Amino acid sequence: MKLYAYGLTEGIDSLPEPLNGINDAAVYIFKVGDFSLLVSAFSGDTVPVNRDNALAHAAVVRSVLDRTTPLPFRFGTVVTDRQLESYVRARREGLQAKLELVRGCVEMSVKIIWDRGRTEPAPANNHSEGTPGTAFLKEKRRELLGSEARAEEAKKIARWLEERLGDVVRDKTFKTNSTAKLLVSGAYLVDRGMMDRYRVALKNARLERPELHFLASGPWPPYSFANIDLEFKSQFGVS
Amino acid sequence: MELSPENPLPAEPEIETSHVEEFVEQLRCVTDSLPSRINIDAQSVEQGLARLVLTLIEFIRRLLEKQAVRRMEGGDLSPEQIEELGLALMRLEAKLHELKTQFGLTDEDLNLDLGPIGRLI
Repeated sequence: MKLYAYGLTEGIDSLPEPLNGINDAAVYIFKVGDFSLLVSAFSGDTVPVNRDNALAHAAVVRSVLDRTTPLPFRFGTVVTDRQLESYVRARREGLQAKLELVRGCVEMSVKIIWDRGRTEPAPANNHSEGTPGTAFLKEKRRELLGSEARAEEAKKIARWLEERLGDVVRDKTFKTNSTAKLLVSGAYLVDRGMMDRYRVALKNARLERPELHFLASGPWPPYSFANIDLEFKSQFGVS
Repeated sequence: MELSPENPLPAEPEIETSHVEEFVEQLRCVTDSLPSRINIDAQSVEQGLARLVLTLIEFIRRLLEKQAVRRMEGGDLSPEQIEELGLALMRLEAKLHELKTQFGLTDEDLNLDLGPIGRLI
């Protein structure tokens, strides 16, 4: 029997209320040893990536977040019940370690936009008329310098934010982007008991750097810290 | 600590920003660039393979551009050599753009998610 897997957790034997997931199928708990897996029956091989399915996946993972912190599966994880059971039994220790990492925590997200013009070198002077190849390389040089400056600035901002939030988060991960206005995307694993301190620390950081545009969101299930890859095909998006 | 009756989680995630439109625009760019799944069927396999091959060519093309810029900065190229190199890279970029159009691909499609290492380009 094929299953769509949403997430793995512990200490839950039933859902608080009936819940439907992908393709409107009823979600239920599939027990493997001490673990409780959120699954629903699925027919077919692949799950279309669309708004409805993404929201259905997120809603199921989130449905247990007020009771426990689940390890979300990657979107689109379709396996047989035997594969799932075999996977969980074979990786029992690793999964327990992951659950230990996120236990009692939620994920908070911070995205930062920064004015690109500050690091963008001025356009090259057009002294290359009649030499389009030279003009092309000069323009590439300008783009390259701008990209390097933005990458450096993104790292500085990420380090600065880490200093401001470091004491109130359990773990963090961030991505920097040197080619778009969205310079830094950070995810922070915050203990539920530290949420108030996290919010204060973030508020102070925002006040300190008014030139940065922040988008703060959460709490989310710990997608950035615990996404489970079942096998090669789900890891590389080939199905 | 799992449950915290004193600090219950909000029913939905809270989102807070003073720059909504700016973030919507940027996040739309991000979601547009998310890789769609490659389905191994007769209709999509050609585009999937083209995407993979063109991504690798684009990666190499960018490396060549960087190397050319470094050599130009280093002063070890004559003006004629710079012009010749620039023209060659310009034509390579144009050719790649043509191939992308043929296969219905955009700049954002030409990338690979390498998991923990990050993105190729």
